[in-house]
Amino acid sequence: MRERKKVWQGKRPVAVTIVAWGIVLLFLVRLYQVYLPLLQADLLEDGIHGPLTRGMRLTPTGAAVLISAAYLIQVLVGIVVLIGFLRLQRWAWVVLMAWTAVSLSITLINYFYSNPNYIVMASDVIIAFALSQSDVQRIFRIRTDADEPAR
Amino acid sequence: MNPPAERPTMSVDSPDLELLQRYEPLIRYTHGEQFFPTEVERYVRACSLWAHDPAGRDELLVRQDFLNLRELVEPRPAPFGTLHYLRFIEPLGLSEAAEAIAKQVRLRTILKNTFHPGVGRLARGGLLPRVVDALFSISFLMRGRVPAAVAAAAEVDYFYMRTGQDKFVYYGRVVREKDWTVLQYWYLYCFNSWRSGFGGVNDHESDWEMVSIYLYQDEARLIPEWAAYASHDFHGDDLRRRWDDRAELDVLDGHPVVYSGAGSHASYFRPGEYQSEANLELPAWLDTLRSVWNRFWTGILGQEPNDPFRIPFVDYARGDGVAIGPGQERTWAPVLIDEGTPWVSQYRGLWGYYARDPISGENAPAGPMYNRDGTPRSAWYDPLGFVGLDKVPNPRELVPLLEKNSAELSNRQGELEELIPRKAEQVQELGARLKSLERQPHLARAYGALQKKIAALTEEVHALRRESSESAAMLESLNRRLASLKSGVPDDPHAHIRYLAAPVRVTQMRFGRVAQAWAAISLSVLLFAIVGLLLLAPRFLPAGLVTITLLFIVIESFLRGAFIHTVGQVTVLLAVIASIILFFHFWFWILIAALLALAGFLLFQRLRELTG
Repeated sequence: MRERKKVWQGKRPVAVTIVAWGIVLLFLVRLYQVYLPLLQADLLEDGIHGPLTRGMRLTPTGAAVLISAAYLIQVLVGIVVLIGFLRLQRWAWVVLMAWTAVSLSITLINYFYSNPNYIVMASDVIIAFALSQSDVQRIFRIRTDADEPAR
Repeated sequence: MNPPAERPTMSVDSPDLELLQRYEPLIRYTHGEQFFPTEVERYVRACSLWAHDPAGRDELLVRQDFLNLRELVEPRPAPFGTLHYLRFIEPLGLSEAAEAIAKQVRLRTILKNTFHPGVGRLARGGLLPRVVDALFSISFLMRGRVPAAVAAAAEVDYFYMRTGQDKFVYYGRVVREKDWTVLQYWYLYCFNSWRSGFGGVNDHESDWEMVSIYLYQDEARLIPEWAAYASHDFHGDDLRRRWDDRAELDVLDGHPVVYSGAGSHASYFRPGEYQSEANLELPAWLDTLRSVWNRFWTGILGQEPNDPFRIPFVDYARGDGVAIGPGQERTWAPVLIDEGTPWVSQYRGLWGYYARDPISGENAPAGPMYNRDGTPRSAWYDPLGFVGLDKVPNPRELVPLLEKNSAELSNRQGELEELIPRKAEQVQELGARLKSLERQPHLARAYGALQKKIAALTEEVHALRRESSESAAMLESLNRRLASLKSGVPDDPHAHIRYLAAPVRVTQMRFGRVAQAWAAISLSVLLFAIVGLLLLAPRFLPAGLVTITLLFIVIESFLRGAFIHTVGQVTVLLAVIASIILFFHFWFWILIAALLALAGFLLFQRLRELTG
């Protein structure tokens, strides 16, 4: 049996650890956001009694369930990405960077139009800068040599 | 070494014309090229002569059909700042312009001389360069330019000129300087149609191009050693290729092959499509801002350098069209020129329309001997320095020169080997004397003087040792090259080239049809989307603009196969904006956190040192 190629054998760069902690932090924030709408609508205590939709529109209960479900999906995706990231998979870097771009865009739009979430913004900034470090990019095979980023 | 047929020699007594003909280039054009080297006399006869005075007025001096080479060089006193220029195409009225364009279309259809650009220029640049390209196009509304109808009329007129007599002329000049014999081939084209015909940077009436061959003398024979082609964006050493450099220079039966850029007529050594870049002229403050941002982006953030103000243009030098030269259906009619040729030395004006373009791209060039401002052209008065050959010895002289250098260095090394120990001994003697003067107050003056002397001598010994070390390394390198040359191994033919003009690789041109279509329509779609946003949801304009721009960037990066790279860059850019916002709101707490982190770090360091 052929020996499995080890992608990265050296010491784990600090930036990778920072990103992992950033993902955990975002995971906790999103987890809180999963429960928040359910708590506000008293759904955890009373359960779902009323209808979720009325005609083509969502009821308040339906909206709470939908928002909660959306955040739950984000939490699940976050877990998958965290696993991929800790295993130094290239796709995990791409997904995380794209995710951070989307998250930063939403946070920035929120900043100008409503109440911004500074914790998410700060986590995104840390993740973005950490992921763009050249040694991190090399470990994830995004950058192929010292100067040339892979396309 | 090249076979004899590839490196043909000529007797040093050969007449100039024979020399020129023996090495005359073979020029291969791109299919669709409309203009070829033409005869000066016929061109001038088809032109009118004008004067542009310092007040901005244009005066017609000699009408079309009345101008000839004798009239052209007539002395014409004029106020300082006056510019003389020719006009190949007279000012066109609306109906004449429409007629010229219609004739051009008919002509191309009849001749089947239509150019197919293949992969579009726009698809080769990103979204930002396309925005800048649009601004570049708009800039023509404000800058002087050669109208499209003039290009069409020039194409039609040139066709009729050729119909009368299809003659392809080069103007050859032979210069003997130092140990070199330089053959210069000058070509006059009636028009440069790079912008209107091939999506390039500029159009202008008339175009002068030049190719040079450098021969050295070995006994009574002249042997070709270098070929130099004038090209965009390249200067000095980068213009020339060694005659035996088969990877970079095609030679056919002793004639160098030139691949001419479509419309631009720039000369290239290899066939292909060259991506040249035009810099947009920016105000100084914006240029400073750009360089500061670039330093921050690459130096601090470690990102790939990216300059949106450089617009990619393609120069098509495919070599799949007409060929002119020895062994071809179309051959050259050579004409000898020198400083004694009146139209070369006595006409200092432009050879075509003066479009009043402040950055000169659309103004016609001056002749072989002069620049547009009337100053002498370096290619003419310094043909060796023009291609960086001043410092290159004749190959026959190379080995003796190196041997002389080596002998001189060896002698000097011998001197140094003797001198350094002697000087070092002197320093030691003085040092011993200095030591005996210490702690003797009455000898303070002598002590000071001796100290100065020792310092000077020490510095001298230091310099001699450095010289010895450097010249030993130099001697080693020199001897290695000498041994290599003596054993018949030539120098690397590319060693002198800093920037090698290389055609775009085929793999880089594989943009899909969708990418090309997107490149063509994306800017318009972006503008439509912005208009839609303004009309339908003005309240969400900033958010909408950000969303639309991001969406376009993502689509663009997908189509160009650069998604990962683009996502990385966009995210870092957004992170920079978010960092500024965070710093603006939480600068106090960020400062506190930074100080705490610094204190913790220092404490950790010191404690670790303390505990060993």
